[in-house]
This record gives sequence, structure tokens and C-alpha cells, in this order.
Amino acid sequence: MIQVSNLSFSYTKKPFISDMTFSVSKGEIFGFLGPSGAGKSTLQKILIGMLTTYQGSVKVNGIECKERTKSFYEEIGVDFEFSTMYEKLTARENLEFFRSLYQKKGRPINTLLEMVGLEQDADKRVSEYSKGMKSRLNFIKALLHDPVLLCLDEPTSGLDPTNSRMMKNLILAERAKGKTILLTTHNMQDAAELCDRVAFIVGGKICALDSPHNLIMSRGAATVTYTWLDNGEHSISCPLNQISSDEQLRKLIAENRLQSIHSSEPTLNDIFMDITGRTLL
Amino acid sequence: MRLRGLFLWDIRFQAKYGFYFLYAVLTVIYTIIILAVPENWREKTATVLIFSDPAAMGLFFMGAIILLEKSQHTPCAFAVSPVRPAEYIISKVGSLATVSFVVAAALALAADVTNLCIVLLGTVISSTIFTLLAIIIATNIISLNQFILWVVPVEILCFVPAILHLFQITPGWLRHYPLNVCMEMLAGFTPSIAGIFLVMVLIVFLFFLSKHCVVKMWNGMGGVKL
Ligand SMILES: Nc1ncnc2c1ncn2[C@@H]1O[C@H](COP(=O)(O)OP(=O)(O)OP(=O)(O)O)[C@@H](O)[C@H]1O
Ligand SMILES: [Mg+2]
Repeated sequence: MIQVSNLSFSYTKKPFISDMTFSVSKGEIFGFLGPSGAGKSTLQKILIGMLTTYQGSVKVNGIECKERTKSFYEEIGVDFEFSTMYEKLTARENLEFFRSLYQKKGRPINTLLEMVGLEQDADKRVSEYSKGMKSRLNFIKALLHDPVLLCLDEPTSGLDPTNSRMMKNLILAERAKGKTILLTTHNMQDAAELCDRVAFIVGGKICALDSPHNLIMSRGAATVTYTWLDNGEHSISCPLNQISSDEQLRKLIAENRLQSIHSSEPTLNDIFMDITGRTLL
Repeated sequence: MRLRGLFLWDIRFQAKYGFYFLYAVLTVIYTIIILAVPENWREKTATVLIFSDPAAMGLFFMGAIILLEKSQHTPCAFAVSPVRPAEYIISKVGSLATVSFVVAAALALAADVTNLCIVLLGTVISSTIFTLLAIIIATNIISLNQFILWVVPVEILCFVPAILHLFQITPGWLRHYPLNVCMEMLAGFTPSIAGIFLVMVLIVFLFFLSKHCVVKMWNGMGGVKL
């Protein structure tokens, strides 16, 4: 679906995105993670053909982004990190307007509104919408013309837990339909749950690219942390797969002196800290 | 197909924002003014009124419309849609030219002008020029204040020679100045070939420049404060 090779780009003379190579296959959810200002949105803008002054090759849906024509967008749905609706029109009018821009017939508006629980508010003006309602509306706007590639910039930000859950289910449902999805997020839990693969971007470079599972495993085993009282509180951590050889722990268990014991599995969050911490040093 | 859709939606937006109501009221007021002046002054009054409002309304209204769109980030939505910049511009120019046409027709009929066809053709041409100018200005700026700052000099350059021309105060080298040619048409005179040619050159130039500016705005993604 997407092949990027030796991509370089900069807004200024100073090199920014340099020599990136990766590919995304059809039906995959691909996440871009990284600190603020790392170039995630910039990379997305290149992939959707909004920045065309790059070096190297970027092929999306078989088309070199530099040479795209406007019909390229018949098959791409973009959900920006901000609302792009006419505030004075109702949600339904906005959706009708944006659907009229595509050649394809697209999906029925009512079904889309029901999907995100906005059917009751469909005839309200967008200016009366809350932040979360706006992000749900902008999400279905990206689905209107039933594109094969979805580009979502922070789709769960500003949503309450219920709506965030619903949004994630909708994203997974799109993948089940065979859509390819590019996703940026600062929420590592969402990324771990949704993405088939993630790329960590720091300072315009890809520092790690793998499935969340592999990245987490590569960091090493889970640890166990336990505390006990002995002239004040003491606390020790040891790897989960070596606890049988921890004499101290065995002794504490035998004497029933443990105050607390926790196991902690590494998460994508730890990977994020490791990677960004390492490169920020 | 898409162009027709865009055009109809532009009309709908303008209606929603109370634009047609405003122009209905203005048309009534202008008509009263025309009917109030002595009969031998009516045609000139109508010419000045048509030039300064229905013909030039694009300069302000298109600026306002585009700034409003920018403040709502809709240019980003256009950037990632199949809409071509030319379609966007033609639809915007066409929708305002339609209003200009209707209002100018009402005023021209009230004044009982001698050459209705030329007057209306002149209106559509002037409206096109002013709307294109507004698109070029509004796509390049980020606030209402900045817009006003840019519109004033453009207005002086467009209005002063044309108004003087109507009263036959024109230096020879401004004989075929496109806005003067527009004014001639609004006054009911058939323009010269050279004049019409220069007007067409200007429109083509402004169209391509506005296309360039629209692409820059769509892909620029910048927000705007009003
Ligand atoms: N239009 C622009 N012109 C010049 N520089 C820009 C432009 N847009 C972004 N930048 C710069 O490029 C860098 C990367 O920005 P980008 O928006 O890609 O970051 P990001 O990874 O998406 O960050 P965030 O997580 O905060 O959304 C920043 O330093 C930013 O200042
Ligand atoms: Mg971003």
C-alpha cells in the first residue's frame, strides 16, 4: 500500500526528515509514535500528498505522491488533529457537502452518524458541538467516501473513556474491512492495542520499527518489586524469570514478612521513554 | 458535476450567512436612491452604484468568506479532497457573479438604462475581477486587519481611475486600463477591442495567480485568527 524509500524532507535548509525507508502493507494499522515536534504530522502530510518537495520516493496506492493528481484523494480519508467543518452548518449538511465532492457514492450518512452515536445531534450546528462530538464527526467525515487508506491524527484525543473505546473499535472494524490505517497518537496504550506495527520517530528519523509485542519483548523480562520492614522499609526488584534464585525473597516468603509484592511488565510507554530518553541524551 | 455541486453549495452557504437578505435590502435602498434623483441623472447614478456595490462586492465578501473558511480549517479539507483549485475558484467567482448580475439587473431596470446587455456583461466581468483579487489577497493573509490593510490600496487603484473615467477625466495612457473598460461597459458603452483584450488578459492572469495562491493556502495548513 505504501512504500517509502530514502525519503528526505525539510521545511528549511536544515535537514529534518532524513533517509527514511519503510513500507506499510494493505490491511495494516501502522502507528507513528514519538515526542512532540518529531515530524509525525509532517510525515503524514508527505504521505497524503500535501508536501511534495521531498527527495526520495514515496508511493501510496501505487502513485508517487509528488506526481499525484487530485483524483488521488478519491481513495484517501484524512482525519486532522483539528475540526475542518463549517461551523454554521449542521453535522448532516457538512457531511452532505463533503460527500458531494467525491465521484464515489460512498457510505450512507445516517449509518455513519449512528456508528459514532451522533444521530440525535445530526441536525445541530457544528458550532454547538463539544470537542469530543467534533472529533467523532471529523472521524466519520474521513470515512464518507469509503477510502482504502485512512490517515488519523490523534483520533482518541479529547474523548471520554466510553467514546475512546468506541473509536478504537471503529478503527479495528475498518481494518477488518481491509482498510489500511495510518495513526498518530501520544497514547501508548492505544498504540499497543490498535497497531500491527509502530514506528518511533525522533528528530525526523525512525529509531525503531516493529510490532508493539516485539518491541516490548525486546526490552527484557518483567520485574518483580517487593518491600519489607527491617529497621525501616526496604525495596528490591528482580527479574520475574529469576525469582526462584532470589534468596532474600524466599526467606521473606517463608517468614511471612513481605509488605508488598508487585510484578510489572514492560509497556510501550517504557519503550517510548527508553528510545526518546536515549536519543535526547 | 462536481463544479455544479460546489456552485450550489456556495449559494447555500451565502444564503445561510444572510448574504442574500443583506443584498435584498441594499437593492431596495439603491432603487429608492435611483428613483429619487432627477431623471437625467439616473443612468449615471446607476452606473456608479453598480460599480461600487454589486460589481465590487466580491472584493469584501470573498475576502470575508475565505477568512471564515480559514478560521474553520476547511482549506485542509479541500486540500485532501478531489476538488481542483480551478473548480473551487470558478464556483466562488460564479456564485458571486450571479448575485452581482441579479442586483445590477434590478438597478439597471430601475434606471431604465439604454444598453442593458452591455451593462450586465460589464457587471459580470467586473465582479469576476474583484472576486479574483479578493481570493488572491485573502489566501495570503491571516487576519481581518491585514485584509483591510491590503484591500484599501487595491480599492484605490481600482476605483479612482474608473470613477474619474466615468466623468471623462482620463490620461491617455489609462485609456484601456481594464477597470476603466469595465466602467465604460457599466455606463452602457461598447468597449474597444483593445480594451476587451486587456480585460481578458487581466482575468486570465488573475485566475492563474489565484490558483497558485489557493494551492498554497490548501497545503499550508496554517490556522487563522479573526
Ligand atoms: N509549515 C511548517 N513550516 C515550517 N516548519 C514546520 C511547519 N510545520 C511544522 N514545522 C516544524 O516541523 C517540526 C515537526 O512538526 P510536526 O508537526 O511534524 O511534529 P509532530 O511530530 O506531529 O508533533 P506533535 O506530536 O506535537 O503533533 C516542528 O519543529 C515544527 O516546528
Ligand atoms: Mg502532530
